[in-house]
Amino acid sequence: MAKWGMVIDLDKCTGCQACTTACGMENDTLPGENWQDVLFYTEGEYPSGQMKWLPRPCMQCEDPSCVHVCPTRATYKDPDAGGIVFIDWDKCIGCKYCMIACPYGVRFFADEAPLVEPDLKEVFPGSGGQLWDPPGQSPDQDPRRGIGVQPKGVVSKCTFCYHRVSKAPEGVPDLDEDDPDLVDYVPACVRTCPPKARFFGDLDNPDSNVNKLIANKKGIRLKDHTGNRPQVYYLGAGAGIPAFQPKS
Amino acid sequence: MSADTIDRKNTGLMTGMLVVGGVIAVVTFAIVAFALLTRGHAAFNMDANVAWGLPIATYVYFALMSSGLTLIAALAMVFGFKQYYPLIKRAIWLAIVTLVAGLAVLAMELGHTFRMLWAIPLNLQIESAMFWMGVFYLLDLIFMAWKFHMMERGDWTSWLSRQLGIASFIAVLLAAGTLALVFGMMGMRPFWFDPTLPVWFYATAALSGVAALVFFTHLSYGMNRSRMPEALRMDVEGPLPKLFLSLAGITLVLFLSRMTTGLYANAPEVNVVWSEYLLASAWFHFAVWGGILLPFVLLLARGMRNAPGVQMLAAILVLVGIFIERLYFVVGGQVVPLFKGTWERGLVEYAPSPMEWVLTVMGIALVFALYALGERLFNLSDSPMAFAGDESVRGRQATVSS
Repeated sequence: MAKWGMVIDLDKCTGCQACTTACGMENDTLPGENWQDVLFYTEGEYPSGQMKWLPRPCMQCEDPSCVHVCPTRATYKDPDAGGIVFIDWDKCIGCKYCMIACPYGVRFFADEAPLVEPDLKEVFPGSGGQLWDPPGQSPDQDPRRGIGVQPKGVVSKCTFCYHRVSKAPEGVPDLDEDDPDLVDYVPACVRTCPPKARFFGDLDNPDSNVNKLIANKKGIRLKDHTGNRPQVYYLGAGAGIPAFQPKS
Repeated sequence: MSADTIDRKNTGLMTGMLVVGGVIAVVTFAIVAFALLTRGHAAFNMDANVAWGLPIATYVYFALMSSGLTLIAALAMVFGFKQYYPLIKRAIWLAIVTLVAGLAVLAMELGHTFRMLWAIPLNLQIESAMFWMGVFYLLDLIFMAWKFHMMERGDWTSWLSRQLGIASFIAVLLAAGTLALVFGMMGMRPFWFDPTLPVWFYATAALSGVAALVFFTHLSYGMNRSRMPEALRMDVEGPLPKLFLSLAGITLVLFLSRMTTGLYANAPEVNVVWSEYLLASAWFHFAVWGGILLPFVLLLARGMRNAPGVQMLAAILVLVGIFIERLYFVVGGQVVPLFKGTWERGLVEYAPSPMEWVLTVMGIALVFALYALGERLFNLSDSPMAFAGDESVRGRQATVSS
């Protein structure tokens, strides 16, 4: 079985947020509940201050702290599904401990005050337990993997678009959007990235392009000191988040 | 228990408290339940940055108060300090009541409360501190209820009764300890990350527990010590305020240690939280200097310490101060956003929503109502000394005054 991983080349990323938009449309997330986001920040001060940005999906960690803390095993890592970390919405009790424990802040409890106005939960009221009924809703529903429109009272997160990836032919080393045979299985953020800064493939396959990129371009994982060991790698200069510094 | 041991002098006050507390608890529950049904958890102000807010802080406040009350009861139940016997029945009842109130608030905060009832036992995630916290608090509740039942039957010292006292003590140590570790084991949250956090939780639990015991004991007797049974009156004039003073002192020392370490740290997730969130708040200053230091000073002199009015004032200050501290502790671990760096311009802003405050009022009202119910149904001032005759009481009087 593959171990799916993502590589993001920061030297190519333009911070256009197309990935964020594609993710929201693909996964029917509410505005502001960005399973995938691009963080913009500054580093240093004048005259050497820098403007930086960092695309941030769920890291699908090899040893995810969110899985250890979940009291109901609703959050789990599935080695038979490429090592993706899922949330079983039928088991989640909404305690939000996983949100506390995720070092990357990539978990969401959408059953909250709207982050963006107007409140789409009021514009498109949900039915059948869904938080909202988005127009053009995706037909893919798998609550045991946290795929579909988020129900009330549970936590949600990026699934590496497992509803697409899971349909890929067995044994492919990479899911490349330039390959017409594979393009339908590529995660939405990877497929839509205009400068082609994202790559998706099998970290367990020595022939995969993602492994070559990590090796040849010195790929790194963020916050590796936490021991979570992400399956998302970054290439290029400036991968990292500067320490928090409140601005007066 | 014979009917003549029941203290019925204060039934008027307790009946009023039961009715008013019960009505407030029911009304506030209805308000929150209606808000949750119509608006969902959007009725609360928590978000992806501050996932745990006032409801969790209220739960922690009541759960630890309950733990503290059991720790105090353990002085007699486990460690043989018999002078505390007249306090333990009230302490155990209050521990049951406060734990029930805390769990009620927690239940309203969860996304799926009823799912918890099957999802936790059927999935047994033993790696989660939250799992163990639930197991130990459940055991704590069972042992306390059982022990109270035995005391109510007049069985204070049989083998089973003593074992239940020990079991309650062990369960509460584990429960409060794992509650601390729910926070303390989070390495990605440096403000909370601390293997010794259980020590802080035990100390503050005991302090809030003794404050609750002092407050409700005086409330039951209308601030009039002459109406108390002799053994209880002796406790309120001697061992109890001394214990109160000691716990305030211990908590103060531990707080100063935590504050110094926090301010000394370079990591912004610790230093900035102390300097620009906790110590930048007048409420937090009130909580510490008004809620811990001032009670400690008030209780220092023996004359002051034994005055019911001073004890009551110190108890109220501690109860309010520790509540504020719990809120700032829970939120403090989250105000520096994770993995956002300088994307966030400042500390995450969080203020509890009106509905969160209504939920907290529900918890408080529940404590008052259930305590009053206990006073109506049971003799909470009962103790084995009540059967031992005046001679033993006089003997204790001599011991205490010496």
